[in-house]
Formats: sequence, structure tokens, C-alpha cells
Amino acid sequence: MISPAIEQKEQKEYKFSEITADPAVRDRFKKVRKYFFLRESTYDMTNRCNVRCEGCYYFTGDKQFATENSDEDAWRVLLEGEKERGITFVVLAGAEPSLVPRLCEVCYDVIPLGAIATNGLQHIPRQIDYRIHISVWGNDHTSLKIRKAKDMLARQTANYHDDPRAIFVYTFNPVNIDEAREVTSLLAQNGQQITFNMFSAPLGYHGPLRHTPETLARTRKVMSELLRQYPETVVYSPYNIVAHTSEKGLHDLYSCSYPRMNTSTNVGLGRSFRQYRTDLNWDRQAACCVPDTDCADCRHYAAGSAVVTARMYRHAVNPATFKAWLDYVDTYLAVWVRGYEKGQNLCERFIEPPAKET
Amino acid sequence: MEKDISGTTLRIAQILIDELKLEDITPETFDPDLDLVDEVGVDSMDLATVALVLRDEYGIRIDEDDYPKLTTVRIIAEYINNKLNSDD
Repeated sequence: MISPAIEQKEQKEYKFSEITADPAVRDRFKKVRKYFFLRESTYDMTNRCNVRCEGCYYFTGDKQFATENSDEDAWRVLLEGEKERGITFVVLAGAEPSLVPRLCEVCYDVIPLGAIATNGLQHIPRQIDYRIHISVWGNDHTSLKIRKAKDMLARQTANYHDDPRAIFVYTFNPVNIDEAREVTSLLAQNGQQITFNMFSAPLGYHGPLRHTPETLARTRKVMSELLRQYPETVVYSPYNIVAHTSEKGLHDLYSCSYPRMNTSTNVGLGRSFRQYRTDLNWDRQAACCVPDTDCADCRHYAAGSAVVTARMYRHAVNPATFKAWLDYVDTYLAVWVRGYEKGQNLCERFIEPPAKET
Repeated sequence: MEKDISGTTLRIAQILIDELKLEDITPETFDPDLDLVDEVGVDSMDLATVALVLRDEYGIRIDEDDYPKLTTVRIIAEYINNKLNSDD
């Protein structure tokens, strides 16, 4: 049962060895630690899309105007260079990767771990064995209004029926919060998985999809209800809920570690992460997983996967907070890595995100 | 009083060998100036893990902005020594 109240930080100072003395914690830490080698970069595959959604981050800013390079040899050279500099995980995104399956296959040939963000309207060939993230923005009635496409969920679920690569990513915005029940129920009946994302406003966006404190609170309630009701279908944890529905965005809570907000090039994302545009160039000033998003409003699931995970040190302050972090990382790996099985959440309570230690 | 930095260096090398499961190397043969990121392939999550073990071992807090800078055994030893000296 998820407690509705945020638990305050314990006062006692724990050693890390005390926290990991608990066999459940130690085993889970060992499990997630095997994936510390993952180093990601993201790639815009094409500037074309077969839908045009309100508030789409891709069609904001100037990256949408980059020339499209569809030369397979050029992509192979790029990916081999990426592998050479230590990239072990690719995220293929913007605008719609399913429109360029051959390029996706080239990426898979070179770097076999990755994920593809797609609207799911066109099936991606099975031989590309990446995790497939299918974006859902509500029921089909709402999708028609916001994404201007008919029968989206019906087509998405049919395209990815019985496909273990697929996970549906439900983006909560102020107008579709209650519809998550209907969508999750349908996916549960189909034996498909769902995880949650939060609409994060692109720079300059002031439309109706931007969250408010009231919609964040309602989202938190519905996420909690669905996680409790569909534990086999919903890939999430109580701490994910806290991290993504707080009034503060991810940067305020955790200090974003992507190059766009992090000038350090010593180690980690600040050193290795790049966000390539369709012309195969990248710009450090704009490099994050969701460029052109308003950082102050960023609660994006992809951002959290990197940013919360990177903050292990500050979460190792007491058993409950570290368990919450382990649940978050376990969720992130289950969402992003093919074949990774999520364990049962270790912390069922809402834990306050720890402040930076000074 | 100055702490023994050579002892600290050896202990840090042992922690790195244990935590990163480095093979064919001992604390005595671990070059303290080896760049852990460029030459050993350590990433930020490894450094965070090592920072937690050092926190336990030496009872010091390591600032989150500092541990990405701790890129050699010697730099780590000096950092710890400075922390310990400033706590005296």
C-alpha cells in the first residue's frame, strides 16, 4: 500500500555498509550495478513524422530544420565512432524513427543495446531488438484532438501485440489524467506493459498541456492508484511518482547532469552524452535527451532515468531513501533495457527526494 | 597533524581494486597518477560507489560536485587528507 504522505528524512547517519547489509538491498544493488556500464547518447533519425502533436518537443527550436542525412554508410561511420568513444546505449528518437527502419537497423548492427521512441503507428521490424517505447497521450478521442490521428491506441496495440520489445509510455498532461485508467486497463487485458511520462513544456509553450500544482497532485493520485491496481502491467515505483509529480522539476530536485545544464566534462553524462540531429551534428549547448524543453518544467521520464540514477551518492543516507533510489533504477532499467526484469519495489512509501549533501 | 598520505594511497588503491574488480594489479603496483576515467575506464557511477566506500572508511563527506574531479588515486588521497586535516 502506498502511503500518501511524503516521509521526512531520518536524522540518524548511516554508513553505506549498514544500508547494504540488508540482503534485499544488497542483492538489488548488485543487480542494478551490472548496468553501470551503460553510456547513452540520442539520435534524431529523421525530421519527418506521420503525426503532428500539440506540444511536440521535436518540432520546437531549430533542430527540426537540420538536413536529413539518410545515407546508411554515414550512419554506420557515426555509430562506429560512437562505439569507439564508449557509447554503449543508443536512444533513437525524433521525429519518427519507424519511417527509417534501415537506419535503425544500422544502429542496431553496431550498438546492440538501445531504445526507440516511436508513435507506434508503423511497426518496427523485429530484427531490430531494441526496447520500443510507444507514446500514448490519452484515449483515442483525446489522441485525435491532440495528435490529429484516428484510432491511435487501437493501431498501436495491434502493431505491437505479443511483442516483448514494446512498452507503452503514457504522457500525463492536464487533459488526459483520468483517461490513464482506461488505457492501463486495456493494456492489462492485452498483457502489455505501460510506464509513465509527464508532459514537460517546450520552451515558450504556454498552452493547456502545461502542468499546474493541481494537475500534478491529481496525476500523483492516479499513478498511485494504477501502480497498486495493475502491478504486473505498470512498470513504475512510488519513488518514480514522487520524482515526477513534485512541484519542483527534475533539475531543481536533482541538478540535471546533461551537458545542457552541466558544464563539467570530467566524467559521466557531461563528458560522454551527445544529442545528434538528423544532419549527424550535435551542439553541446543543446545536448540533453529532450532539447528545447523548458528545463524548469522538465519532468520527462527519459531525463529522470539519467538524472535521478546519477544521484546515487545523495540517496545513500538511510535505508528507505536508498531503497527508493534502487526502485527508481530498477524501473529505469526495466523500461529501457531489453530483457531486464523488474523486481518488486523495495520501498512502498513516498520518500522525500534528498537534498545535495554539502 | 599530517596524516600518512602513502598509507592512504595504498588503502584507496585497495578499495578501487575491490570495488572495480580490477585484475592483475596490487595496491603497491597501482600507479597513483593513472587517470581513472581515461586509463582505467571508470565512470561516474563507479566513482560514486567508491565515494560511498571512502565515506564509510574515513568518516568524511564528499561533496557531490567534488567526486567527479577525483580522477587519480593521488588526487583522492590528497582530498581525503585535506578533509581529515581540516576536521582536526
